[in-house]
Amino acid sequence: MEIKSSENESFRHVYEEVFPVVMRVAYHVTYNMDVSEDICQEAFIRFYEKNIDFRSVDEAKYWLIRVTKNLAINVMKRKSREQAMVEKIKKAPKVPMRNGEDALIDSETRTLVREAVEKLPEKLKAVLVLKEYADLNYKQIAGILRISESNVKVRVHRARKIMESMLDREEMHVS
Amino acid sequence: MCLDDQILNTYLDGELTEPWKTQVEEHLNYCVACKTRFEQLRSLHAVVSGSRLEDETIAVHQNRVLQFIEKNYMEKRHKVGFLHRDFRVKTPMLLTAAAAFVFVLVGALLLGPGKQADANELIPRVLPASEGSLVQVRATEGLAASQVLESFPLEEILKYLDAKGYAVELRVKGIQPVGEAMMVPTEESPAAE
Repeated sequence: MEIKSSENESFRHVYEEVFPVVMRVAYHVTYNMDVSEDICQEAFIRFYEKNIDFRSVDEAKYWLIRVTKNLAINVMKRKSREQAMVEKIKKAPKVPMRNGEDALIDSETRTLVREAVEKLPEKLKAVLVLKEYADLNYKQIAGILRISESNVKVRVHRARKIMESMLDREEMHVS
Repeated sequence: MCLDDQILNTYLDGELTEPWKTQVEEHLNYCVACKTRFEQLRSLHAVVSGSRLEDETIAVHQNRVLQFIEKNYMEKRHKVGFLHRDFRVKTPMLLTAAAAFVFVLVGALLLGPGKQADANELIPRVLPASEGSLVQVRATEGLAASQVLESFPLEEILKYLDAKGYAVELRVKGIQPVGEAMMVPTEESPAAE
């Protein structure tokens, strides 16, 4: 299906399909819901305004993920410069968790994972977030980040190695 | 020989291509150490990936952002038709415009005829050159013309022409400065004033 980003029907179709992924990417880079919402809004506005033709929904999705990732990483870079932003993000309320049986990961583990992801170097973080939270394969990640597939492979491995060393496995609970 | 973490991770992600994929699977069938390590990596992946933002949480934001874009971008783009355009002018602005219009109209009626007559007398003498915008006003062209033009100061003629949108270029012809045989063209551009 060909996508024209400024056509309302195309836009709605892509939006419906891609927003959750894009929101996840923004969130797992910034770990702030308000900031993530702003980033997604900005990404979709750019998408709508730019009037780009995409060969498929996937192509549009990769474009949106790339823009979102860049916006999110820029926010984090700015964050390290602006103390106010640091405070805002630190004070951000935790994302409400689902209660009940279908919650696979408990909130304590989520916090540990979050802290570990936050500490990852930017390049590894981008790859890991796209792998674990956007459910993309190496080829897709390589395309979005404009790096080689073998580079993606190495970065996934390195990111997981660091994650493992930071996460105390005894405190992780998987039901 | 046992498998390293990178191969196991690649296998875990389903990215290992065929000759190696089967080899890894076979190895994992008998090597307990590699199997254990693989399970650890799989568990790590499950925990990290499972700690994702959930769809229910995303839905609220998804609706809010869509509403914002619909309201501020999609709806606005529809209002392109000229007839459908919203021509709203504030009352004070409208009154000011009306007053200005009346003022100009009354002014034209009161002061117009005299000046207009003058202007009309001038216009026939302004002869558009055949090639475009160049216009020549010649004081020597016809007796009536010279009389009419003579009754206007040069400054006023220039002002008039300038108001009509002509770029006026003045040339002094046939006057030779004393002591100098060469003719020096004098140029003046009232439009630049």
